[in-house]
Amino acid sequence: MDLQKIIPYRKMSLKELLIPENKFMAFVAVALTALFLIGVGIYLVHGHHAYGVTRQHPWGLLIAVYIFFVVSSTGLCIVGSFGDVFGFKDYMSVSKRAIFGSIVTILAGFAVIAFEIGHPVRMMIYNVLSPGLTSAIWWMGTLYGIYLTFMIIEFIFLVRNDMKRAKVAGLIGLLVGLAAHSNLGGVFGFLNARVVANGVFYPTYFILTAFITGIYLIFLMYGYKYRGQDFPSDIAKALTNFMKIQGLLLAILMFFETWKMLTGVYGGMPERADVIMHILHTKSFWLGEVLCGMVIPFVLILATKGSAIKKMVWASFIGMIGIFYMRYDLVHDAQLFPMQTLKIREYQLPPSFVEYFPSSTEIMIGIGGVGICLILYYLGTKLFDLDTMPEHH
Amino acid sequence: MARYGMALDYKNCINCKACEVACKEENGILLGADKHRIWVGVKEIEGEFPLLSIASNTFMPSQCQQCDNAPCQEVCPTHATYYDENGVVRVDPDKCILCSYCMNACPYDARYVDDRTVTVDKCNFCSDTRLARGETTTACQATCPTKVRIFGDLDDPESELSQVLREREHFTLKTHLGTEPKLFYLI
Amino acid sequence: MAVEISRRRFLQGSVAMTVVGGMAMTPSNLFSKEKVHGEVSITTKTGTGKATLVPTLCEMCVNKCAAMARVENGVVTKLDPNPMFPKSRNMLCPRGNAGIQELYDPDRLKYPMIRIGEKGEGKFKRVTWEEAYDAILNGTDKFPGLAKILDEEKDNRSSIFFCAGEGMAEHTFKIFYEGFGSSNWLNHASLCLRTVVSGYGVTLGAYPMADLENAEYIIMAGANRAEAIVTPDTMDFFKRTKGRGAKLICIDPRFTNTAAKADKWFPIKPGTDLAFVLALSYVAVMEELYDKAYVEKYFRDFNKYKNHLYAEGYTPEWAEKITGIPAKEIYQIARDFMKHAPKAVYYPGRRSTFAKNDFQLRRAMAIFQALGGGIDTEGGLVFGKKLPLKGHETVAPMYAQAQGVDVTRAKSKPGYDDCAIVSGGGSWIAFRNRVLEGRSVYPIRGMFLYKHNPMMNMPNSAKTAKFLKGLDLNVVIDIMPSDTAMYADVILPECTYLERTDPVKSFGGPEPSIAVRNKVIDPMYETKPVIEILRGLTEKISKPLFEITKKYDEDVQDDIANRGEEEVYKDFDLTIPFRHSQEELNEHAVSDYPGAYEALKKHGVFYPKMEEYFKQVSVNEHRYYPDEAKAYSVAGGKPKTPSGKVECNLKSMARKGVDPMPTWRKEYEYSVPEGKFRMLTGRHAQFTQSGTANNAMLHDLIHENYIWINKRVAKKMGIRFGDLVEVSSSAGKVQIKAYPTEKIAPDQVFFIHGFGEESEALTWAYRSGGNDNAIIEDVVEPVYGGAAMHETNVAIRKV
Repeated sequence: MDLQKIIPYRKMSLKELLIPENKFMAFVAVALTALFLIGVGIYLVHGHHAYGVTRQHPWGLLIAVYIFFVVSSTGLCIVGSFGDVFGFKDYMSVSKRAIFGSIVTILAGFAVIAFEIGHPVRMMIYNVLSPGLTSAIWWMGTLYGIYLTFMIIEFIFLVRNDMKRAKVAGLIGLLVGLAAHSNLGGVFGFLNARVVANGVFYPTYFILTAFITGIYLIFLMYGYKYRGQDFPSDIAKALTNFMKIQGLLLAILMFFETWKMLTGVYGGMPERADVIMHILHTKSFWLGEVLCGMVIPFVLILATKGSAIKKMVWASFIGMIGIFYMRYDLVHDAQLFPMQTLKIREYQLPPSFVEYFPSSTEIMIGIGGVGICLILYYLGTKLFDLDTMPEHH
Repeated sequence: MARYGMALDYKNCINCKACEVACKEENGILLGADKHRIWVGVKEIEGEFPLLSIASNTFMPSQCQQCDNAPCQEVCPTHATYYDENGVVRVDPDKCILCSYCMNACPYDARYVDDRTVTVDKCNFCSDTRLARGETTTACQATCPTKVRIFGDLDDPESELSQVLREREHFTLKTHLGTEPKLFYLI
Repeated sequence: MAVEISRRRFLQGSVAMTVVGGMAMTPSNLFSKEKVHGEVSITTKTGTGKATLVPTLCEMCVNKCAAMARVENGVVTKLDPNPMFPKSRNMLCPRGNAGIQELYDPDRLKYPMIRIGEKGEGKFKRVTWEEAYDAILNGTDKFPGLAKILDEEKDNRSSIFFCAGEGMAEHTFKIFYEGFGSSNWLNHASLCLRTVVSGYGVTLGAYPMADLENAEYIIMAGANRAEAIVTPDTMDFFKRTKGRGAKLICIDPRFTNTAAKADKWFPIKPGTDLAFVLALSYVAVMEELYDKAYVEKYFRDFNKYKNHLYAEGYTPEWAEKITGIPAKEIYQIARDFMKHAPKAVYYPGRRSTFAKNDFQLRRAMAIFQALGGGIDTEGGLVFGKKLPLKGHETVAPMYAQAQGVDVTRAKSKPGYDDCAIVSGGGSWIAFRNRVLEGRSVYPIRGMFLYKHNPMMNMPNSAKTAKFLKGLDLNVVIDIMPSDTAMYADVILPECTYLERTDPVKSFGGPEPSIAVRNKVIDPMYETKPVIEILRGLTEKISKPLFEITKKYDEDVQDDIANRGEEEVYKDFDLTIPFRHSQEELNEHAVSDYPGAYEALKKHGVFYPKMEEYFKQVSVNEHRYYPDEAKAYSVAGGKPKTPSGKVECNLKSMARKGVDPMPTWRKEYEYSVPEGKFRMLTGRHAQFTQSGTANNAMLHDLIHENYIWINKRVAKKMGIRFGDLVEVSSSAGKVQIKAYPTEKIAPDQVFFIHGFGEESEALTWAYRSGGNDNAIIEDVVEPVYGGAAMHETNVAIRKV
């Protein structure tokens, strides 16, 4: 079988493939991947004991990082679909790169979650043999699997310049992706016992923030690619449009968040108001989520009327830090309120908000996932032409 | 075929934790702060010495509530958590992938990770130990000094459990979540 | 224990056990913030296959509850309650359930050992049983043996003392003591319930039980039945508290789990219960609420007592100032109590002596109880019945050279003048101090110690250490390398209760029964039951010691001249009591009851008509006797004193300088110097003193004890939960973590007894928490020489 026939790639020697043009980024990527491998090694020896997760806080950093990656993936899928699926010509030039980005991010997400799920292989077997159809995790996992398949198919067609088939695959991928992603929101939304997470908020919020994340990432990808030089006009045009869309999206997000917090504290309902008040007293919410994730990019967009696309690259970097905090906080906040509020040991303080801080192993695997993402992205940029798009289809 | 449940005369409880130890010894539960299927909870006492609130210092023996509509079962992606033929919510360690979703979904903090199988474990009413041997009590019930627990078949109207639930007022925990617990606290 | 017992050495031998994870699983704290606890598990899941069930009796505390041991492939996998025993009513507490961990404790004493290092250093070498016995008789280069000591002491058998903790085989050990001929026998009583047993004994003629199954009104003062479990009391009445038939008044300086079950809780000032009881009695008498018919019939010197109460002015208003309990509440309690009497109980309790006035307190309690007529009656205090057992052969030779305990009673001369009355179990603390201070009339050279841990159980551990170091020959029989075992010269490892049959025992009460501890599995390692240990030991030492007696004892020399040595030796043959197996002795003991021995083997329990009477009445409850057959009343209310009366005024006591009637004295008043705290100690449901300190399962429930300190005081001192504090007194100091709580008064602190062992051979217990006896001062209760545990003021400082 000739791989070249399935997906055209640039032929090059291994040496050529492995010589990066940016030594610094290469070092970062390799170092992070090394951390990932060390973390995985520790995990394989010690199991979940190497993590900071507990009975009361079973989900930790790795779940947050997983969400971070799949949100990124869904976001890039949405962004990429503008051109090749919906046929908006202005965005066509970013489609291929975005779709490729969505593949590497979800692969990185899977790499991370594989070491959070206790038995990933067993999962694949029993996902099929005894599907839990009432489980949002089952739907989320299964749909993401299908999504990834269609993203790869879409990408293959894109690389082969078969825009018609790419469109079909892309549309299916997008729809499945949106379903998967809202199901990820549903994983939290279905938690009736966790009052801050429970309800309609997260499934919709996930789609919204995915879109935002996708735009941040498209800025980062092109910002990196055209570092120290001007954007080509077609890219500049797409980015300018995206910047304006981002302004609108951030406004909607702030509106969402405001009402979430207001309804959360109103009336002082036990558990819900307690947790919201707790959140409102954390730096990670105000500095991470609000300042980095929303305000700084939003102010830039407003102040420049959406024109400063070079500055927006940096704002997007800050925005992604904010996005990370959103993921981390949503996982943590959902588990903040203990389900057991009584003392069960002789000498213990009454249980209050559940504390969690990731262990070094979790941090290694978590940020190591970024390394995997970068390496995969690097290989993609080397092997595939992610820029040239046919004039029309 | 039965529908097992349990009534707890919780005011009898003296917080001695015989139940917790009996459970660990019977079911071979690991030691460790987080490794317990059952527990006794107590609130921090209210008031200042010497004007303390006796009423605030109630002991609440607890464990998996064996919900008829169990959130843990609903969220399980692989049916590792299932209702057995007696309505007992159980975990099949061969199917559990340790996604921990059930631990998050359980409103009662009744689940934990067993380090041997690296799967989620919980109270199963001694189904694979005592009940499997034909005994009619759980370890926690049998050992209790003040006889807090009455284990029995809710489907059998003649069972002592059914009788006591007909005769005495009782409540269930976090009823509003619709979990339909089969642990009943007698008032 | 450097040589033979590595404290990290895990289970060995042929026992097949699931050792899960073991130490290898120790998660590294480097990688996780979560504090790692209990990394070792030695629980075994019960199986569904073939199993043997052996009825036995628990020995995790003094209660002796009936258990059924499940044995699968030679491994004890579970201890379940045995429902047939009236005393324990189908239950096992957390400690009872954790008995398996005692059996499989990797730190257990496994082989006989003799000391090779300095005394107290904990260096031993493994020897054979024969070598150990030989070392006891002939000594080694490190310590002298019995032969040398007794020769030097001219056969004064009292130079060797014997001490034992409570237990079913204590009796077996005591037979050895009696044959040996020492007059120094020390048991746990003077560190425990001496004063309560004696106080009730001289007042009512016996230490009664409380019928908490039927009592309607219960005053529980200084007893904590929710945490210091006593069967059947604990089970009987907590089902009925909280407005369900039994009104409970809890009197305790701190808010205990018993207080949590009470209708009312009054934090009394420590050591002032006597004033409270006197005021209750005052109200009952002055308001004429007492049972006049009962008092008329069964009281002696009632009027004297009445006048005493009146003359001394023991009014509730007076008591309020002393106890801190409001006068109006005292009136109310007295009136309510008398209204419910005779179904009202002032609970006698069974605890250590807390204050110097404890004996008088017990007397006052007994008299107050009797004022309501609640003696020998349903719902009151009961004497019950006891099923008699047949005795067995012992030897009690007369050694002319053995000196007595009370060689002098004169106050000015050295001797046993530390307390007014010398009781059977002696006064441990007075004995120790007398030896230590050179006040002993004759040298005390050695000891035989069985199942006893004076390093942990007696106030002022520093003195105990010095005392033990000063002895020439310490023989320790125990199951664990306790702090005291570290001071041994010879260690004889006993097997645990699950590996031996103990003397059959009769349990009296309204529902009397006989129960036995049957051997569940064969002894592990080279351990033996004490009866076999003593069989081997006496075979070794009996003859040689008799030679010493022959040498110094003129009576014996004369006797031999008359009867011949062989005949005389029969009276001195220490091996006689240990010739039969425990099973044979038990069979003989119950031989008056047809079918009893078989029933004891099969059910662990026997009482006449058991087959007919015993039945299950609900999923949890059983009937042992029909109501009409219960012995609530055996003498129609008559006290068991020789006079048949309640003794209000003990003239014989007056002659010994003891108040003949309960009297409050100024020096009993509670006071704590500014900046200091009164140190309180006590029990916990998951812990039986130092005996369970190394139990992996229980240790998992409570890793270490914390010191209770009032929350607001702690805040002022900058002490937060878990902070390490140093607690010090004139006796010593300990470091312990703080538990700020409102459950204790601002001028008091408390922590559970039994933690903070210093023996490195104890994996779990070693230095976990603090040892209360390291800081409790050695205050001797003046009547029986009990150790008064709540008389110490301590200073606290954040470390």
